Amino acid sequence: MSTHHSRAGYLFIAPAIILMVLILIAPVFIAAGLSFTDYSLGNNAFNWVGVENYAKMVSRSAYTKMLWASGTYVLIVVPVSIGLGLGAALLINSVKRYGDIYKTIYFLPVMAALLAMAIVWEFALHPTIGIVNKTLVSGCGTWVEAVFSWGWLPWVDGANSWYSTSCRESFPLWFGDKSYTMWTICFIGIWQAFGFNMVLYLAGLTSVPRELYQAAEMDGAVSGWDQFRLVTWPMLGPTTVFVVTITTIRSFQVFDTVEAITQGGPSKSTYVMMYAIFEKGVKQNLIGMGSAITVAFMAFVLILTFVQRHLVERKVHYS
Amino acid sequence: MIGQSSPFREAFKHAVLIIGALIVILPFYVMTSYSLKSQREITTNTGGFFGAQEKVVDEYCVKLGNARDTCEVTPAIFNYTQAFKKAPLVRYLLNGLFVTASIFLIQVIVAMPCAYALSKLRFWGRDVVFGLVMFCLLIPVHAIALPIYIMLSKVGLTNTYASLIIPWTISVFGIFLMRQFFMTVPDDLIDAARMDGMSEFSIIWKVMLPTAIPALLAFAIFSVVAHWNDYFWPRFAITGMRDLYTPPLGMREFRGGSDGSDWGPMMATATIIVTPLIVAFMLAQKRFIEGITLTGMK
Repeated sequence: MSTHHSRAGYLFIAPAIILMVLILIAPVFIAAGLSFTDYSLGNNAFNWVGVENYAKMVSRSAYTKMLWASGTYVLIVVPVSIGLGLGAALLINSVKRYGDIYKTIYFLPVMAALLAMAIVWEFALHPTIGIVNKTLVSGCGTWVEAVFSWGWLPWVDGANSWYSTSCRESFPLWFGDKSYTMWTICFIGIWQAFGFNMVLYLAGLTSVPRELYQAAEMDGAVSGWDQFRLVTWPMLGPTTVFVVTITTIRSFQVFDTVEAITQGGPSKSTYVMMYAIFEKGVKQNLIGMGSAITVAFMAFVLILTFVQRHLVERKVHYS
Repeated sequence: MIGQSSPFREAFKHAVLIIGALIVILPFYVMTSYSLKSQREITTNTGGFFGAQEKVVDEYCVKLGNARDTCEVTPAIFNYTQAFKKAPLVRYLLNGLFVTASIFLIQVIVAMPCAYALSKLRFWGRDVVFGLVMFCLLIPVHAIALPIYIMLSKVGLTNTYASLIIPWTISVFGIFLMRQFFMTVPDDLIDAARMDGMSEFSIIWKVMLPTAIPALLAFAIFSVVAHWNDYFWPRFAITGMRDLYTPPLGMREFRGGSDGSDWGPMMATATIIVTPLIVAFMLAQKRFIEGITLTGMK
């Protein structure tokens, strides 16, 4: 090739390379380096502390709670938002009319600024004047209580059900009660994420050839469940691998809801990694610790990505 | 699926989908409704969606020495005017617009030439560079926010527009996406342009760019949605410098400073921040869904 082209080539890639090195690659090494120090901003001297920061992460209760909170969040949000996304996609795909309307509605949370919506949810779930608890309270003593205490099921003790007990005492402090907060934060995460998964599954479903269903039917797979199990689910394999990876990475990154509503509390029950990095690194200027959490975070994400690549290469798909 | 279409089944499916839709819409309903209602209607949960719109007295206006009856306003108007008065919301919105637009423009200016070089020019080390791009795809920018924050504050750039923009100037995903797209552009087109005496640089902007419009549009949506809504990075980069707040930061500050008496104005603020993208999405749903799910091509 002419030198003219190769000179242009180098010129064209130069800005991108410089920025990649400065913004993406250098920070990885900086974080790794700082994680072995007690560095803080505005303080030029620092000490090498070896693996002390990492040791704290597995020994101090604040950090084990952090790993626990992030793990819980991921383990709840990923399966539920994927399950709901797949379920919504299958339902929307199978109804004769109005499927597009549901699709639009379910996708709305993906578009809306999560921080703003988190604050709206906080209001909606306000213990005394929020619309959710108000509605729940107004259902007490009516048919609503009768239905949702599940007392009409022979094996449920209606009077001591969650709904009836709450009616007698009080409905939960969704963001103040340690036993509910994580679940409520997860709920908002699911609310926000499942529309995204639904759209990916809808795209995946269009690529399933219809002849496969006919073929399966001829082979005796007549019921909806059999067709799903034998045709739809295996054909959605690549979509599922991708959806699982991206949802997991995004769930690890949860920040907006925690920072705006709970600040990691009550008693560190929602102290997720991204919030911990922010709190330690920026608010408290404990850069060493913040960097160690950063490195742990990157390790999780890298492992996940490699597992995904591995699965894709092993051809989870049957096409 | 096939062969199961009794009316009962169909109705059941719609029932499930409608319940789901109601839960999804709930916060949007609360947000819009509260932004229209008076504080009293919000705390007592009365007035339906629109509220009675009975005039309320603006206490602040009375304090300024105006007559009480000249200070009466309908709650909807009160909430929305308060949203703009209590905080420099216009400034926040313009900041958001400026930051989002700058990020996208710089991403394109950096990514297009690189993608062109990687797909259409031959030079020693090209595969290594592409390998580097693929490697960088693995690094989530959120994960390295702290070291970037440290670097920026070392050079004194925190609390500037630059700090909001710089970390996003390089989009390896954009390079990858554009490269894949350029691979499908026939070489003849470029050779013809070269014969006409066009420089490599003008080929990028006059030949390649027009062919890449669909991909570029999808990328634009992907980028704009992500950065208009982003709260995480601005929270790192901007500490207390109100003039630089982006809309989510402004919203957060409003909530933080509220004693619970400003629900109406606060929800009006939320509505103003959320509405532009929702409206754009409603108008061009296909393109938006395509753009947002672009990450699916990684």
